[in-house]
Amino acid sequence: MCYKIYFFSFFLCLGAHFTPAAAQQSFVVSGSVKDKQTGESLIKAVVRIQELPNAGIISNEYGFYSLSLPKGNYSVVVSQVGYETLVQKIKLDSSQTIHFFLQTKNVLKEVVVESSRKNDNLTKAQMGTETINMAAISKVPVIFGEKDLLKTIQLLPGVKSAGEGNSGFFVRGGGADQNLILLDEAPVYNATHLLGFFSTFNSDAIKDATIIKGNSASQYGGRLSSVLDVKMKEGNNQDYTVNGGIGLISSKVSIEGPLQKNKSSFILSGRRTYADMFLKATEKFKDNILYFYDLNAKANYQINAKNKVYISGYFGRDELGLGQEFGIDWGNKTGTIRWNKIISNKLFLNTSLIYSDYNYNVKLKNGETNFNINSNIKDVNLKQDYTFYANGTNTLRFGFNTILHTITPSTFSGTVINSVSKEGRNGLENAFYLTNNYRATNQLTIDYGMRVSMYTLMGGDVYNIYENGTVVSSIKLNKSSFGKTYINPEPRITTNYRINDETSIKAGYARNVQHLHLLSNSVASSPSDQWIGNSYNIKPEIADQISVGYVTKVFKSNFELTTEAYYKYLQNQIDYKDGAEINTVSDVESVLLYGIGRAYGLEFLLKKKEGRLTGWIGYTLSKTERKIEGINGNNWYNARQDRTHDISVVGIYDLNDRWSISGVFVYNTGDAVTYPTGKYTIQGQTLYQYAARNANRMPAYHRLDFSATYEKNKTKRMHGSWNFSLYNVYGRENAFRISFKDDPNDPTRTQIIRTALFKWVPSVTYQFKF
Amino acid sequence: MKKIGCIIALFAIILVGCDKEITLELGDSKPTLVIDGSITDLAGPYFVQLSLSTSINNPTRIVGVNNARVIITDQTGIRDSLQFVSNGLYRTQKIKGVEGGTYDLEVVVDQKKYMASTSMPKKVNLDSLRINTFPFNGEIRYSVIPVYLDPVTLGNSYRFIQKINDTLDPTFHVFNDNLNNGKVNQRPLRGGDLNLKIKPRDNIFVEMQCISGASYLYFNSLDQQSGAGPGGGTAPSNPPSNIVGGALGIFSAHTVQRKTITIR
Repeated sequence: MCYKIYFFSFFLCLGAHFTPAAAQQSFVVSGSVKDKQTGESLIKAVVRIQELPNAGIISNEYGFYSLSLPKGNYSVVVSQVGYETLVQKIKLDSSQTIHFFLQTKNVLKEVVVESSRKNDNLTKAQMGTETINMAAISKVPVIFGEKDLLKTIQLLPGVKSAGEGNSGFFVRGGGADQNLILLDEAPVYNATHLLGFFSTFNSDAIKDATIIKGNSASQYGGRLSSVLDVKMKEGNNQDYTVNGGIGLISSKVSIEGPLQKNKSSFILSGRRTYADMFLKATEKFKDNILYFYDLNAKANYQINAKNKVYISGYFGRDELGLGQEFGIDWGNKTGTIRWNKIISNKLFLNTSLIYSDYNYNVKLKNGETNFNINSNIKDVNLKQDYTFYANGTNTLRFGFNTILHTITPSTFSGTVINSVSKEGRNGLENAFYLTNNYRATNQLTIDYGMRVSMYTLMGGDVYNIYENGTVVSSIKLNKSSFGKTYINPEPRITTNYRINDETSIKAGYARNVQHLHLLSNSVASSPSDQWIGNSYNIKPEIADQISVGYVTKVFKSNFELTTEAYYKYLQNQIDYKDGAEINTVSDVESVLLYGIGRAYGLEFLLKKKEGRLTGWIGYTLSKTERKIEGINGNNWYNARQDRTHDISVVGIYDLNDRWSISGVFVYNTGDAVTYPTGKYTIQGQTLYQYAARNANRMPAYHRLDFSATYEKNKTKRMHGSWNFSLYNVYGRENAFRISFKDDPNDPTRTQIIRTALFKWVPSVTYQFKF
Repeated sequence: MKKIGCIIALFAIILVGCDKEITLELGDSKPTLVIDGSITDLAGPYFVQLSLSTSINNPTRIVGVNNARVIITDQTGIRDSLQFVSNGLYRTQKIKGVEGGTYDLEVVVDQKKYMASTSMPKKVNLDSLRINTFPFNGEIRYSVIPVYLDPVTLGNSYRFIQKINDTLDPTFHVFNDNLNNGKVNQRPLRGGDLNLKIKPRDNIFVEMQCISGASYLYFNSLDQQSGAGPGGGTAPSNPPSNIVGGALGIFSAHTVQRKTITIR
């Protein structure tokens, strides 16, 4: 009942802004912003009116914009990172459609992370948001020479790596499963390949990626900590191009071109690693398999001036095997059909139908016996998203999202076991949202909105209800019948006040709710981790985050300094009992424990975006804790990813037209871990005694990487570049694991063993385009 | 599942793993009472070892607790006051371990009382041991499969102690029947430590214990933590024990069967 009143009063307050604007006669200029050479639509391009400093709009995910202006003559200024700013004079005496085509900048002034195009970061209300410029990622050194979106975002403040060389990440104290990773709107359940060393994103196929650290607008929902919104390229609708890269352990190629010139295009991109080729060459490891491949495909078709259709798909698979004995394979499949419809010059509609499927299979073979484990999660997802450019000061966005989840937990089969058919569970996740971007004054922008998310349990498996660890009742729902529904309102607001051209302050609050949860029995992520939906015991996870920020130009406006502070409170967090076997226990809910969490921190980001030297320095000071009933004597303890200090320095320097060099330095406090505080003997074996959970620290982690990029002379068609990089320049042996064991030569003595993964990893990559 | 984790970790290590002994500043817990008691279906006497936990750097393996009163009572009402032997070791005098028997332990040290209760499961016959071979990284690996028929009722737990040429395999081998209830076991005892490879002509000794659910939880927790630390295993903590009163350790009643096999 409470949320209804909430929602109602929200609508009331929304109505308030609309009265004064209608007084003057106004016309609408609308259309799209595109790249002149390739015809790719440009996302988040800024369209401003020189004569009216208060009027302006940012192009949406499909390059569409719409502006309501009073009658008059104007100079429209269109700008976007990496493009020459376009100024076009228009005479507005009727509503009209104008498309803007931007020319790529010749000068190499690419910036990897770009949140502000000129003063854009100062005027947008959005907080905790960074956009990654894919074109410039190639110059940042990465392990194995494979440029990687997920490893680059880990260099931003507030984003932490899940481990050495790992693509998994934690945002502002959240878990690795609390990031909503979207590829063309389709959720990606496992965004890593090859035990986390690679991300599922082939950077050649990606146009744009934005990470929002908890203060996302209300069209996003479903995960607590962040949204990583990745958009695939549409493909060149002017000409055919081939892009590729050849590296030491992987190669990739992509082809793009017009299906109909100016109207429709396609892109096809594939990648495969061949680390196993090296294994094959050795007598010892020749029966081992270790590779992944992925394929991105996308096509778009302009039906007419008002309708456009996009079809995109992703298919990726990992294979890992030890001879005939053991094999594990896993992968994601996603497919998206989107339909853009310009209903009127003020109303834009996108309808998406999305299918996604994540599964894994484990095969174990012991002589004559077989053993298989399978699990999968399938989603069918329908979204409608409307953008209404109400007037010069209000832009509304509203819509709904319905997802049918089919979750099949680990099921076992084989010759040696009873094939227990665990039935899958279905869940229906619905959400409605409405958000308004309100430009109150020239200085003050407010984004406010509400999302209402609902999760309905559906039939399949039996739902047990537990009280103090024992079943008190069981509910069996038929396949298509509905059980309990959880309804959660998620209010969100961000405000931005521009003090002057160089300085602005921001503040925001957001509630995020998560209805799907990842159960993992290992500290690092593993493909066999399983997802579970809400149930009668598992309640939606809730995060409330408040944050304040300050953005200013420093050092003669050559640098931009962004400072943000946040406090996050987490509810209904999930862990499991000691000794629990989450994969084989008949009902995993019998071993789960619940609790709360809190995270707070201060983030600094100093960026240099222009000149021969570009890059940034990021620093995070933070604290992340959990308090789970039944763990650590019900006291607060450090989450594993609690790292007090986290520093990243990224620098790219253009020596001349051909050579550029870059370096990355990272330093962070070691993970919070539990070391023994004593030892004893049971039945002849040494056991360790532990006190508080995660009260100790791994040794501090630090590393320097270096890379040099050589670009060959650009001829008319062919363009090639070489990248040489060295990971971990000074060979620091960062601890991957610390273990304790009896000294084999003297059992009364305990040895402490540090395992390091990579000392130096050199790599060479050749990148071409024609 | 543990096996998968191990193999994945192994893959990562194969890439470029590098181990080095280091020193760390470690905190010290207050010495805590450790109770290690077993009743078996073999002829008595049975023993309860009392000791205190020590700091990691203490070279003394067992710091015995010698001033305790230790009493075991069984389901027939026999009350056995254990006799002190030496260095914290106490010996039963009259109690007899039988399948299905229930045993209550009471330990009093410095006016502080600790209690535990356990039942001995019915014996499941260990029919034989057999050898399992598989190719791994270009060589033949061996493991041992204990052959037994799991009873039709769900909830049986087993622990195996493996010795390779008289060297104790430090792995905690515990099985339950979650997946293979009522079937003949075909699961091998994991190879365990890489330094403890089984080779042709090795003599393998296996002791099979039918254990209670509480013992299973205790040893399975230890097994899950044995790969502890980032990259493998779970966050370590003291395993869930059946001893009430704040002591570490386990009081177990289990059946014992022993067999040996030679690899050929």
